[in-house]
Amino acid sequence: MVLEGFTAFLEYGFMRNAFLAILIITPLFGMLGTMIVSRKMAFFSDALGHSALTGIAIGVILGVTDTNVTMIVFGIAFALLLNYIGSKSGISTDTIISVFSSCSVAIGLVILSKGGNFSKYSSLLVGDILSITPKEIFYLLLIFVVSVLFYVLCFNYLHAASIHRTLAISRHVPVRLMENIFAVMIAVIVMLSIKWVGILIINALLILPAASSRNLAENMREYHFFSVLFSLFSGLVGLFVSYYTNVATGPVIVIIASILYFATYLYARVLRGE
Amino acid sequence: MRNKYRFTAVLLLAIAVCAYLLTGIYVKSEKTDTDGQFLVVTSFYPMYIAALNVAGDCENIRLENLSEPQTGCLHDFQMTPEDMKLLSTADVFVVNGGGMESFLTDVAKQYPNLLIVESMTGEHAEEEHVHEEEHAAEEEHVHEEAHAAEEEHVHEEEHAAEEEHVHEEAHVHADGSVHTHSHENTHVWMSVAHHREQIAAITHGLCEAIPAYAEEFEANAAEYDAKLADLQKQQEELVSLSTGKEIIAFHEAYEYLAEDYGMEIAYTMNLDEERQISAGEVADVLAAVKEHGIDLIFAEELYGRGLAETVQKEADVTVCYLDTLVRGEYEADSYIKGMQKNIDIVKSALGMEAP
Repeated sequence: MVLEGFTAFLEYGFMRNAFLAILIITPLFGMLGTMIVSRKMAFFSDALGHSALTGIAIGVILGVTDTNVTMIVFGIAFALLLNYIGSKSGISTDTIISVFSSCSVAIGLVILSKGGNFSKYSSLLVGDILSITPKEIFYLLLIFVVSVLFYVLCFNYLHAASIHRTLAISRHVPVRLMENIFAVMIAVIVMLSIKWVGILIINALLILPAASSRNLAENMREYHFFSVLFSLFSGLVGLFVSYYTNVATGPVIVIIASILYFATYLYARVLRGE
Repeated sequence: MRNKYRFTAVLLLAIAVCAYLLTGIYVKSEKTDTDGQFLVVTSFYPMYIAALNVAGDCENIRLENLSEPQTGCLHDFQMTPEDMKLLSTADVFVVNGGGMESFLTDVAKQYPNLLIVESMTGEHAEEEHVHEEEHAAEEEHVHEEAHAAEEEHVHEEEHAAEEEHVHEEAHVHADGSVHTHSHENTHVWMSVAHHREQIAAITHGLCEAIPAYAEEFEANAAEYDAKLADLQKQQEELVSLSTGKEIIAFHEAYEYLAEDYGMEIAYTMNLDEERQISAGEVADVLAAVKEHGIDLIFAEELYGRGLAETVQKEADVTVCYLDTLVRGEYEADSYIKGMQKNIDIVKSALGMEAP
């Protein structure tokens, strides 16, 4: 009965796709989330998610059939631009990000809502699990491999840059390059998963597992382990629950991730209090 | 250190068990006995009511609507996993058609064996067939008898052209020949005449899908059709008052309603769930009111009231708040009741006493 409950939904093609996507993407979210949290880039990834609207809008204007392409291209351009301006300008980064994020959302909304048609795209906001196609799973797998490779090879550089940027530069760490590659990678992952997770909550998936993990972890290894574990766990349980209770999948995943966050937060407080 | 891992293990296990049990309870409460039953799934509320009237009382037929009971129009409908699951076990899927169900191509791709009955006529050769076979006689009958005097009368007057158009359409149906007007507007159920055709198409589709019940379906459909014919008659009594009257509709669904009354739409503003009105559009509406001398507006209570009241402040118009019949009670006579109410509202707006 237990096993049957867990496997019954795998009979359906669309659920298999969703299951695979979650198996691939949630560990990736967990892994990159740690770096996003320690680099204090939560707002950055949120802005990226919002820029997906503009990416799609541009695709619609150009008449591209696969808006994934325009979304990814725009996302990469957006991420690099943010990085560039953030490093040049004297204003604080969160102001810059906010300006760009709202501007890009506004452009997207203007184009997509032309003629009162925005409802067509409203699934982007909350995500639609049926939109996962085998082609997208292939892309996800590709980015998964690339990200893991990059992460394994360049983690020390990234980490050094996040702890002390100036010191890292003086030690000839290619900080600018690392930051750009990392930003591009987040952009691609966010764009590829936004259709089924939804713009409104995609950031939660990146941030929550890492944040919960931070409550527990004492070193980098634990930090990554818990983050990946929490992310994968909330993804799978979320998919299972949403399938049987008939609600959108993305939000359920986020709710479970939030429960994990609060539980670990309380645990950490009690522990510290002792 | 140890504690931390134990805590995590307990936490994850607890959440997993809770999730499993809660969903288990939820699923159990939803479950119905489905052995040996035919499952007919409908895409949204008007289709459900229609199918309910055709197949509702048959013993081994289970009728389900796609999950969300309050979807309204399907413009922004998202299928949930539950919907996909429901469709995967369905024998027949009854839809409005004509592009109303934007997810239909996905469904067809996913379940190539699922029989899809499109009820909106003029799209399928199969449905032309329906008219020819089952309703030819009846359609002729209605038009000749009920309309005869009145239509003739109208023809001689200045609205000849328009009425002829409507008339012609009906004849095309009756002849069973190809019927080619392409609807962008898919809210056909708003017209009683068109809805009768939908019922016929659904009946035909169900009979083909489940031949064992063909007789019951046809009997049910005939009974329901008689009720609809009664509504149509009431509408026709109003036609002499309403023909050629120019109105403004705040939802494209009312274009079909107006067609029933022979009214002309001077301006349509499609207001629904997701729509934001811009200031320029309000001005457009007011300009149209002035230009065409409009004194009647069809609007939807939920989404149209704000705009309608604004227009009423600026101009002397009557607003009919009509039901688009896309949500309500899951009862067999919901459509009849809703439409009856609409007719009464229009009747009193036209200056006739509502019964």
